[in-house]
Amino acid sequence: MASTTPNAAYGAESPTVDTPRVDRFIVGLTLAFAVILGGLIYLEAPTDRVWLFLIGGGLGISLYHAAFGFTAGWRRFVVHRRSGGLRAQLVLLGIATVLFVPVLGNLEALGVEASGAVAPVGLSLVVGSFMFGFGMQLGGGCGSGTLFTVGAGNRRMLITLAFFIVGSVLGTFHLPWWLDQPGFDPVSLLAHLGVGGAVAVQLLALGALAWWLMRLERRRHGGVDRVLLKGPDRSVGATLLTGGWPLMWGAVALALLNLATLLMAGYPWGITFAFALWGAKALGAVGVDLSQWEFWTWDYPSLALRDSVLVNVVSVMDFGLLLGAMLAAGLAGRFNRASRKPLDLGGVSSAVIGGLVMGYGARLAFGCNIGAMFSGIASASLHGWIWFACAFVGSALAIRLRPRFGLDNG
Amino acid sequence: MNAIRDYSRWRIIVVLLAMLAAILVDHLNSSTFARNSGQAGVQTSYSQLDDSACAPCGAPCPSSREPSPGR
Repeated sequence: MASTTPNAAYGAESPTVDTPRVDRFIVGLTLAFAVILGGLIYLEAPTDRVWLFLIGGGLGISLYHAAFGFTAGWRRFVVHRRSGGLRAQLVLLGIATVLFVPVLGNLEALGVEASGAVAPVGLSLVVGSFMFGFGMQLGGGCGSGTLFTVGAGNRRMLITLAFFIVGSVLGTFHLPWWLDQPGFDPVSLLAHLGVGGAVAVQLLALGALAWWLMRLERRRHGGVDRVLLKGPDRSVGATLLTGGWPLMWGAVALALLNLATLLMAGYPWGITFAFALWGAKALGAVGVDLSQWEFWTWDYPSLALRDSVLVNVVSVMDFGLLLGAMLAAGLAGRFNRASRKPLDLGGVSSAVIGGLVMGYGARLAFGCNIGAMFSGIASASLHGWIWFACAFVGSALAIRLRPRFGLDNG
Repeated sequence: MNAIRDYSRWRIIVVLLAMLAAILVDHLNSSTFARNSGQAGVQTSYSQLDDSACAPCGAPCPSSREPSPGR
């Protein structure tokens, strides 16, 4: 009998507590496809892309097995004042801060060529992150959530992803105009406060936020959800392989894999640039001249547009993430399980609107909950914090609209 | 006995093959493939660290942007 883990309320979907039946077809197919794609990357791209493809796979497995979704955690706090999922995200940001800031502050000494995820602060960031937060509640997942649930076979999220791509391309068309609106250059806490100061300020801020969340939860419920301290329900080996990871395992794995991305790629984990790139390539294939779009004349986007997706770091990691989530869903025996419920008009229209708004917002805000919030805060960039605040406000607004689309706020 | 599946096997295979085909078509038409095939003078982004950019997507800094006409 299928039953959900305690994490299910915090993430998108979760493996069973009972020992799952491994779906050998999905596991075998995923591994075969990963070998083919990995082989192509090995043959045609620098070797580091193969490692980044595997890191992406690890991220997909971690996201699925821990059911580490950002969207449901925010919603659960807003609707039910249960803060376990949100606190797990704060723990993730805390671990990442401790891992990233010392590395970014000592690049020369460590002999590492890298840079953090920093971005300008301005109207573009505020509007974009608000839109992203709004869209993720209607779309049913954030940047990472959309990708890993698609990998796990969720049909509705495929619609969200398709319109996420459309919205991203529209965002690239308008981003130059938004950049001309009031704003200023990136603010790095690391540059202003040094390694110790930046780590201390960020950990204090995260701790204060966690304390405030627990206070509100205790006031409503008389106690705090202990989901963060919960261990696995089955043996460690079985849990690692077939899912039902405690949220803490997910937080540690995601932080370590993002650090591995920084060291390997030279910059932290991002997801949504690839969506804009895929959409632009599709437009180019049907004859649209993107050289007229300022965004696609900037150095990195224009090179990425001409290059193969097999050398584009973000794309390669996204492919790995999709396959990692598919593998994890197969190991948990739950591939496509979320699609049992038939699609209705409300579900489809909210996926379309959510995807479009998220895609557009992600470009204006220089990334999603991963590239801008997770990697931005881990890099001690002010824009990551502003992204978090504005997206949360947008999210809270959209949560009130979900019932109008027939979406459950449970 | 097989468990009830929530998907069609063929549909999954077709989706994955379509994804692979799209990747291959893109690759064969890319400057990466041209360079790998020995074509000289092709610019690629093997290293995607862009120090002059102000954001991961390659956006320029607000301070470096020319004010648009009328502003």
